[in-house]
Amino acid sequence: MTEQEEARIRELLKQSLRPAQAELSRDLSPQMLARLQARAVTVPWFDWVLLGALAICLCLVPSAIPVLLYNL
Amino acid sequence: MKIHPYLRAYMAGIVVPTIVLVFLLTAFIIARFGCHVPIPIELAMVFPMGVVPSLFGIWNMFHLWLGPHRHLPIGFHGAILPLILMPSGYLLGKTLGILKLTAEGVLYFQAFSVPYAFFGIALACGVIAYYLVWKYLIGFFNQVLGIA
Repeated sequence: MTEQEEARIRELLKQSLRPAQAELSRDLSPQMLARLQARAVTVPWFDWVLLGALAICLCLVPSAIPVLLYNL
Repeated sequence: MKIHPYLRAYMAGIVVPTIVLVFLLTAFIIARFGCHVPIPIELAMVFPMGVVPSLFGIWNMFHLWLGPHRHLPIGFHGAILPLILMPSGYLLGKTLGILKLTAEGVLYFQAFSVPYAFFGIALACGVIAYYLVWKYLIGFFNQVLGIA
């Protein structure tokens, strides 16, 4: 490839590719915050009741714990 | 992320039991080698270590395979798993000679007996625990890995 051709290719590439943006066009932090807030889990009361029932069951019948650990 | 969804479902499924296993194994090592418990509990580790994590992964793949129109909510899907795991654990325990059925209950390691009524309580606890774990933890990992 001659120097002339190389220069021609360089010129064509410069024309076809857009110049790279050194800075962000917009602030991404609000989007990130919104995404983090959207992920926040809300636990319904029913699940709290189940969790409480589970804790009470295991406290009242500790013998069930090894059975649970082995089988599950 | 559209590639390898079943592999991602498997990976999301095995995270929780793999983490729990580390603690179980630590407790086992302390009990067996620290406190010199004479019972061969390493036999009982076969089921939780070998079968449970893989089954979690496969069960999560099955949830994905069922698709949004056929599958149950993930909590209920996970709550079915103890109904498969408990009989499987019993069968494996019986095969390995870990447990034996007696008139009073199930005898583990020829050492301690658990009354049959406790198995009902353990199953209920297991169903509740699995419902919560699958709904919140595995559901979260499914979201993180782009499956849910």
